[in-house]
Amino acid sequence: MSLVAEAFVTQLAAAEPWPENAALYQQLKEEQILLSDNASSLAVQAFLQMCNLPVRVVCRANAEYMSPSGKVPFIHVGNQVVSELGPIVQFVKAKGHSLSDGLDEVQKAEMKAYMELVNNMLLTAELYLQWCDDVTVEEITHPRYGSPYPWPLNRILSYQKQWEVRRKMKAIGWAGKTLQQVLEDVDQCCQALSQRLGTQPYFFNKQPTELDALVFGHLFTILTTQLTTDELSEKVKHYSNLTAFCRRIEQQYFEGNDKESSSTAAARSAKKSLLR
Amino acid sequence: MAAPMELSCWGGGWGLPSVHPESLTVMAYAKFSGAPLTVNTINNSWRARKGDVPVLISEDIVISQPAKILNFLRKQKYNADYELSAKQGADTLAYIALLEEKLLPSLLHTFWVDAENYCSVTKPWFASSITFPLSLYLPGKMSREALNRILLTRGGPPLYTLTEVEAQIYRDAKECLNLLSKRLGTSQFFFGDTPTTLDAFVFGFLAPIYKVCFPRVHLQEHLKQLPNLCRFCDDILTCYFRLTASDGRQPS
Repeated sequence: MSLVAEAFVTQLAAAEPWPENAALYQQLKEEQILLSDNASSLAVQAFLQMCNLPVRVVCRANAEYMSPSGKVPFIHVGNQVVSELGPIVQFVKAKGHSLSDGLDEVQKAEMKAYMELVNNMLLTAELYLQWCDDVTVEEITHPRYGSPYPWPLNRILSYQKQWEVRRKMKAIGWAGKTLQQVLEDVDQCCQALSQRLGTQPYFFNKQPTELDALVFGHLFTILTTQLTTDELSEKVKHYSNLTAFCRRIEQQYFEGNDKESSSTAAARSAKKSLLR
Repeated sequence: MAAPMELSCWGGGWGLPSVHPESLTVMAYAKFSGAPLTVNTINNSWRARKGDVPVLISEDIVISQPAKILNFLRKQKYNADYELSAKQGADTLAYIALLEEKLLPSLLHTFWVDAENYCSVTKPWFASSITFPLSLYLPGKMSREALNRILLTRGGPPLYTLTEVEAQIYRDAKECLNLLSKRLGTSQFFFGDTPTTLDAFVFGFLAPIYKVCFPRVHLQEHLKQLPNLCRFCDDILTCYFRLTASDGRQPS
């Protein structure tokens, strides 16, 4: 988006208050959505909950193709469609809601650095697992990704996506990694997050920020998703302050919410495995 | 007594011990930790063909990639992060991720994709550092890989043209430089008075932007407006590499 267009959108956004009928789109929850997309979607839901902005979660089989950036989730607010956490944080900020305004400049730099750590390591590891680990690809990714489509389209689209992700992995030097090396990276990332969090309730003490929403989205999804093995979730479970952090955000923002939104249902159905 | 260690990396120029960010990172870390590395400038290395430069050779162990080399040096008790707390170790990892995600694409672009810079500076420099026939092939390959990486990681809808992607990566890079400048503040290094891994990485990424004279210099202009980051690069060059404004290029 050009600077002019961006400034224009920002102004438009600021003019209107948050509507009642805002909607967040993602893929079908039960049979389609993949680990990485679910994590990104949950991060945005958590962020909007933390801002106290109501949003209705809508599941569509073609959500990926509806999104302006080709990535889920995206939100439809008034006349505008915005996708992915970064732009959504900017958009919401233009409407006068921000979680990170209270931070000083150094803390803001730190928050952005840790958000890049999550994107750089956790998100990439999730993509690696679901598109480059052959067992997961066969048993989980292809059946789920192709589920809305008939044969042979389901195969074609799955392979197309797989090819795209593998090219990206090759470009960033991850193609040569083994699953064990990727799991070690995840462990290193979780260790860093755990040490940064320490005994605080949130990353910047009392108030949650978009970093908390992002970390929650990824860790909660990893903890509550059934994969071919438990290796990935075991890495996270090893850090008790991180699991406690996920539980705390779940209780605070996804339970006791009177409105029956699908996100609370997701959290509830997933809770069993988290509290095990 | 540890085995002798040898580092093969790209050579220097423009007052830098190496013009290659990854090589520079490893060289800086070795200086900070006091690791006795013998530095060899590559010229005819077929190793370079695969792009895994810098590479550390210690007896029969061969290690490439800066993160792995630094890990190896730490295991040899050359640890520059000895005094860091666990939280500072975590911060190091986070800021390195920030550099890779936000600054690296624009650095690759400035060196390898921007046609004017590539033709008048990068290509002649790299081609003259290696022997024929590699000199005909390698710069083009590195350029294609850089473009490929930028397009695959930063391209895609809604950024359809290279111009739009360029605008976005330079905006990200400038934001990253601002964040680093704020994080550094007035202290000498990122974690106080002694340099650590993070300083080695930041130096590796910043010094080429700061020193190499390109015809197109959007990042350099921005960096020069952040005096604390410039001072940070100058300090490391003078205190650890004993290089000042003069050309530090080694004879090849």
